[in-house]
Amino acid sequence: MRRRVLLNVGVPILSLLLVLGLWQLIVVGFHVASYVAPRPREAITSVTSQWSTLWPLILGTIRETIYGYVIGAALGFALGVVMAKVAVIQRLIYPVILVSQAVPVIALAPVLVIILGFGIVPKIVIVTWIVFFPVTVNVLDGLGHVDPDLKNLARVYGASRWRTFVHIEVPASTTPLFSGLKIGAIYAVTGAIIGELAASEGNSLALYQEHANSNLNTAAVYGTTMVMTLIGIAWFLLVVGLEVWSTPWQRRSVARRRWRRGADGPAE
Amino acid sequence: MPTTLLELREVGKTFADTVALAPTSLAVEEGSFVAIVGPSGCGKSTLFNVIAGLLAPDGGQVALRGSTITATTGHVGYMLQKDLLVPWRTVEDNITMAARLTRRVTDEDRAEARRVARQYGLGEFLRHYPRALSGGMRQRVAFMRTLVTHQELLLLDEPFGALDAQTRLEMQEWLLRVWKDTGRTVLFITHDVDESIFLSDRIVVMSPRPGRVVADLANPLSRPRGIHTLLEPDFIALKAKVLGLLHGGDG
Repeated sequence: MRRRVLLNVGVPILSLLLVLGLWQLIVVGFHVASYVAPRPREAITSVTSQWSTLWPLILGTIRETIYGYVIGAALGFALGVVMAKVAVIQRLIYPVILVSQAVPVIALAPVLVIILGFGIVPKIVIVTWIVFFPVTVNVLDGLGHVDPDLKNLARVYGASRWRTFVHIEVPASTTPLFSGLKIGAIYAVTGAIIGELAASEGNSLALYQEHANSNLNTAAVYGTTMVMTLIGIAWFLLVVGLEVWSTPWQRRSVARRRWRRGADGPAE
Repeated sequence: MPTTLLELREVGKTFADTVALAPTSLAVEEGSFVAIVGPSGCGKSTLFNVIAGLLAPDGGQVALRGSTITATTGHVGYMLQKDLLVPWRTVEDNITMAARLTRRVTDEDRAEARRVARQYGLGEFLRHYPRALSGGMRQRVAFMRTLVTHQELLLLDEPFGALDAQTRLEMQEWLLRVWKDTGRTVLFITHDVDESIFLSDRIVVMSPRPGRVVADLANPLSRPRGIHTLLEPDFIALKAKVLGLLHGGDG
């Protein structure tokens, strides 16, 4: 158990430290000017010293990410289900979805501003736009690969289509579903930042970075990038945590004891 | 006077140009254990899928206790070589799967699952996920899941086909014990002649191209059966007869 924690937490942290070390080594070793690349410590200090200014902006980015992600994941799941269940709709929607992903999101942003203005809505739309696609594709794939014998067994029992869907098809598709959710999680923050860049008046993390850039505050430019990255990683880890929590059978041999209404007596 | 539980009347099925199952009639008595033996392609799985209601036959009727169930599901228990346990449910929750798929799982369902599991040697594994079980244990769970559907007729399609010889023999004895306790009617598909004789009251021999019944033999072996059964002269004689039917010539 301790070995596993070391492997799953210790090694990834070590690899991030190595990247920071390499960064330090290159900047110092090649005498890189501080207006080109700061040392890691300077980048980090630029964030901590401005924390009271940055924190509300970070919260704003997180808010856009969460709203867009949740809507995108729900929309992606719903589209995947409908497409898996109705062949005509799949033929009808698939090309549209592909085209939607071929449109460069950066080029889309100004259009969304024209239609939706400068508020939070265009940012949410961009995050949703990016997140739904991997979820839809994976759900579609997962539902298409449920063991037909298992579905037949449900039929023999006299199961309705709805119950078969809820109790067989959805749980059988959790692995691809979470693949889609994880890919979406890592891109969600990128979507929010693109939205902020194109559709912000006033305050946002992306604009903060732009100001730092025009003030030749390179350390802050790097520092802000690190903050954005951390938001993305945190969101990704949250989704991984959700997967671990909701799929205990993939790691455990025996189920945890669970509260159950009217449970009668111990199981042993 | 034994009553007929299942009756097939001239049931046949053709896929494209292949006659998977020629029109077949068969009656199965309540409480009996009928083995269906034959090589692959003899239509035995098609026959099962027709009885289970998964396939609509081209013609004929399937009747259970006198009422027609042709091409309708929800009337029989059904188990395959693949255990089809769902990995995300514990043993207990896998056993109650049929209830979950048709209605709300009640405390009685859970209590029954626990009782059956304890009675037949899986009481300590109720909270385990299927990944923690051996092949033989998984098949037992799959059988219990079939048992608690309370269907009178159980269709078992090579349930022990994937197990090693030692485990298979244990499972056969285990199955006979459960069958005796519960008084269900069993229709058991296998391509293993020894297995068909060891388990059954009656052996239906099928043959391919087109899939059809070529013989319906009574099994005279006494019960209870055990390893000793495999050495009895009657066993050997019946085996010679079935092998002869399956392979032609002198067998």
